[in-house]
Amino acid sequence: MAVNGIIEIHNLSFFRGKRAIFKDIDVSIAAGKITAIMGPSGTGKTTLLRLIGGQLQPHQGEVQLFGKNIAQLNRRQLNQLRSRMGVLFQSGALFTDLTVFENVAFPLREHTQLNDQQLHDRVLLKLEAVGLRGARELMPSHLSGGMARRVALARAVALEPEIILYDEPFSGQDPIAMAVLQRLIKDLNDEMQLTSVLVSHDIAEACAIADRVILLGEGRVLAHDTPEALQTSPDPAVRQFMHGEADGVIPFHFPAPPLAAELLCDNASVADKQGGLL
Amino acid sequence: MHKRWIEISVGLMLVAGVVALLSLALQVSGGHLTRSADRYPIAALFENAAGLAPKAQVTLAGVTVGEVVAVVIDPQTLMAKVQMQINGEVNYLSIDSSASILTAGLLGEKYVGLTVGAEDEVLVAGDMIEDTQSALVLEELIGQFLLNLGDSN
Amino acid sequence: MINLVAALGEQLLQRLALMGQALLMLLQSLKVLPGKHGIARLTQQLYVVGVQSLIIMLVSALFIGMVLGLQGYTLLSAYGSEQAVGQMVALTLVRELSPVVAALLFAGRAGSALTAEIGLMKATEQLASLEMFGVDPLHRIVAPRFLAGLICLPLLVAIFSLVGIYGGYIVAVDWLGVYSGSYWGNMQQAVDFGEDVVNGMIKALVFAFVVSWIALYQGYSCVPTSQGISTATTRTVVYSSLAILGFDFILTALMFGGA
Repeated sequence: MAVNGIIEIHNLSFFRGKRAIFKDIDVSIAAGKITAIMGPSGTGKTTLLRLIGGQLQPHQGEVQLFGKNIAQLNRRQLNQLRSRMGVLFQSGALFTDLTVFENVAFPLREHTQLNDQQLHDRVLLKLEAVGLRGARELMPSHLSGGMARRVALARAVALEPEIILYDEPFSGQDPIAMAVLQRLIKDLNDEMQLTSVLVSHDIAEACAIADRVILLGEGRVLAHDTPEALQTSPDPAVRQFMHGEADGVIPFHFPAPPLAAELLCDNASVADKQGGLL
Repeated sequence: MHKRWIEISVGLMLVAGVVALLSLALQVSGGHLTRSADRYPIAALFENAAGLAPKAQVTLAGVTVGEVVAVVIDPQTLMAKVQMQINGEVNYLSIDSSASILTAGLLGEKYVGLTVGAEDEVLVAGDMIEDTQSALVLEELIGQFLLNLGDSN
Repeated sequence: MINLVAALGEQLLQRLALMGQALLMLLQSLKVLPGKHGIARLTQQLYVVGVQSLIIMLVSALFIGMVLGLQGYTLLSAYGSEQAVGQMVALTLVRELSPVVAALLFAGRAGSALTAEIGLMKATEQLASLEMFGVDPLHRIVAPRFLAGLICLPLLVAIFSLVGIYGGYIVAVDWLGVYSGSYWGNMQQAVDFGEDVVNGMIKALVFAFVVSWIALYQGYSCVPTSQGISTATTRTVVYSSLAILGFDFILTALMFGGA
């Protein structure tokens, strides 16, 4: 099998309890591009990121990073691989007991032998890139949500990784912060020749910067194409998501027995359930 | 500055903990650990050792010189055999020393009082004190007193 | 009926699996100790776990010692042996009350804080983020906290005993007029270092192990939501308290029961 993408996922299945999050999916993510993974909430977008990062093990199939199957790596090799990859977590995940400076310095202290001066310069450059050089002595609790995410971004790129994973970078941000993050992601990708994978359900923001879009739904890959192609896709599920329509083929209901069956069941058991709730 | 304070306070806590442990060893338990190393055993046979228990004091002229380790029955004589540990520096108990079971106060604890005799030879580890005086049993004493009272009337 | 047996078996397996997980977490975290900057991290945790628990320990110890002095005096004076109050206070504290009360306070003060802290780290993805930087959170976060608990509690127990004994002294000697010489003298007569003090310290060490382990495991395995963290924190205090009292009985029976 030819390995062409920097991240290759083959025949992957993943279950939570009995519920299948992914059923036998194949994804290939090309190097040097921004790929957006989109889909309705609960389709396992974050789970997919965790699988790529090796924090979760697939129940079936394999995940390849830089051409290596991560399930076959030992701890040291996995950590080695992870140092070539940056992650921006949804909440930023800054270490609350360290200053902004120390947060950005953290991966450098762990993985490099830089002396104090080199470390200092490198951290300041990264902070400058996200416009927060002036905030280096602040604690994370004193930052706004958008600033925290920018610090986390500086930290994620501190080791100059080849891949960077973004988990919902736009959620809960005001329009300005969103635009700032968008530009940062785009610029970083172009300047550092990164491969960016971003998970999002903000269609407009993600499509504006993404080169490729992977649309997930119901445990499958619904589509994998350019944003423009998806906008005009005839597939009803793709159309529904891309245009934000409430009614369509993607079910609005959580899987449940037919309504009639539940409404017509004997009243005693319903009363029991309510009694239990109250 | 903050970090310095953390280090200093942790250091203080460690010192306080060690000091507390040392005081527990020296002041509270009276350094029993060091003394028990250098002791020698002797024993004595009593008609009656009522109320005498292990860890009771052994005194000489009112000064504690050791402690009772065990009180058992001697199967040959059917008397109470009291085994004691005497501090090593007390090496001048003559072989004709006597031992009696005494009471601290009217209702207090029982202890063993030693009295040194006249011989030059001294007791060594494993020796037996021959001359003993048994415990006073209060009930017997009162009984005797009442009997005497009846007689004199 | 079969269903019931199956359900019970399932429950049992579930419990066993949880215990196994907790043990694995402990072993994993202890596999590699301090390392780079390890001492600084340990110091930080000694401060959080130990120094910050000191005030509550000192105040409780003083009052418990004073109450013991007062109760001991009234109880013993009925038999005319109030001079023995020193040994009563000291033995009660050293053998029993210091390790147990200090460990209960420790579970409430430091244990719950540890659970909440680690739970919050999990909820804010800090643990996941450490992992992605190739740093094992068990070594970095759990191990120094466990070690700090193991070091702190015995020290706190020793301090607790001493302060309690002085609390008893204040009441018995300064207030109720017991002769100072007999307070200390009787105490030194009765308290044996090897038997009483060391056994009390062994208890402290066992409790430190149990409380730290429970607190860290609850935090590490909690459901990363605000409700999950609060449940885990409550569990830490409840499980720790039960474990302390249970182990106390077992240890007391082993140490003092046979004599």
